[in-house]
Amino acid sequence: MCCEQHKHEIGRFLDDELTPDAHAKISEHLKTCSACSRELADIQELTSSISDSSRVTVPSNLWGSIKHRLDAATCEKPAKPPVIRSPLVWSRRWAMAASLGFALAIGMFVLSLTNSPAQASAIDFGILLDALPLDAQKAFQKFLKLYDAQPGSPSDAKKFAPSLDFETPQTLPGGFALKSVYLLQFGNRPGVAATYGRDGEFLATIFHPPVEKESFGTHKDYPCAIGKHHGHKVEIGSWKMVHLTDPTTCHCVLSQLDETSELPAVMAAVAPRATTSHAHGHE
Amino acid sequence: MKSVTEQDMVEGCRRGDREAQRELFEHTSDRVFRLLVRLTGSMDDAYDLSQDTYLKGFAQIDKFDGHASVATWLYKIAVNEALQFLRRAKSTRLKLQGAALELDTNPVDTTAVRLDVQAALAVTDPSDRAFLVLRYQDRLDYRTIAEIVGCPEGTVASRLSRARDRLRKILQKSYDSREENNPALHPRGSR
Repeated sequence: MCCEQHKHEIGRFLDDELTPDAHAKISEHLKTCSACSRELADIQELTSSISDSSRVTVPSNLWGSIKHRLDAATCEKPAKPPVIRSPLVWSRRWAMAASLGFALAIGMFVLSLTNSPAQASAIDFGILLDALPLDAQKAFQKFLKLYDAQPGSPSDAKKFAPSLDFETPQTLPGGFALKSVYLLQFGNRPGVAATYGRDGEFLATIFHPPVEKESFGTHKDYPCAIGKHHGHKVEIGSWKMVHLTDPTTCHCVLSQLDETSELPAVMAAVAPRATTSHAHGHE
Repeated sequence: MKSVTEQDMVEGCRRGDREAQRELFEHTSDRVFRLLVRLTGSMDDAYDLSQDTYLKGFAQIDKFDGHASVATWLYKIAVNEALQFLRRAKSTRLKLQGAALELDTNPVDTTAVRLDVQAALAVTDPSDRAFLVLRYQDRLDYRTIAEIVGCPEGTVASRLSRARDRLRKILQKSYDSREENNPALHPRGSR
């Protein structure tokens, strides 16, 4: 057994947290005490095993998520401390404006216009793509959360985003069944997403207004052909996120489908009136 | 002494300047995120807790007194967020415990010992884990750990001593259990 009176000091000795005098005393003691030497070796082995040299990379979209929540808090309630709530919840905003008075309502409205997240000039897919290989559905839920998704029906989606041209059919070619439809907010512009399932296989669609920039984090975006159209895609393992953009709508399909066999029919079902035959520029 | 850059960042954050907030994030996120991954064992949880840490940090920046570096101050918030989360998520802890017990490796092998220790670390008491991670993974000195955890330096030494002992007991129990099931795995006997 280790000398109990020295046990505490051995840890500090190893961590280089003793005064020079105390360090020297323990050093001398270790020369003559085999029990304490063993204790030192044991702690050394344990602590070196605890040390972890694996590299952890900060997800590329983490700041985007924080900024989004900061912006949402600023839009919702500029007073300190900010309360983190979903942005652009108009009914709540107007209710607050009514209680605070007309002048404050105007002020907040102006503020909301100037501080809305990104004004739909950029969409960050990094949060979705980073986590895709681990759990696609969970990754998709994170993306939905980032853009304040609210559940809805296909008809809600049409009313919510009348400027977008898209379809959310009950079934897709290949036997995918519609699971959920979501209404999204890209800044102050609407978007729509839908999820489908086929024997446990996940597929999702996202429709958003054409934007100045789509961020894919560290993932590379390549041009590709989807049936008669030219689009672009990001591939991560077996997953593909394929985009087809026309002047009104960017149609995205996230799936594991082959892009030459099954995917063109699915894209045609969700973007039947897509007019583009050329890829639009994306960063 | 704080650098001008850090003071500028803090002052900017106090004004709610988004660019200053981003600067502070850029300067500290690597360490904060890594710490949260190590404490929770999950990239997903670390992602969510990092957001909470920075939102809380920005909201409470007026409370930052400059006594320690702003990075240490954010670390303190991150550790608190992680500990609260881990105490709530006992089911997660049980899952990790299951994973640890399922490790079927020979502890004589160095890599296997390291894996075993990482798995055992995941099932230690969250508070013990915080001390061990801060000292042996982030390599912080006792004074900084004391500032982060909010205790005297002497307490850091005793908490580390206790945490190491508990970790060793978990490992010993795991080895004993496996040896009972398969004595051939451990020709040298239990550690």
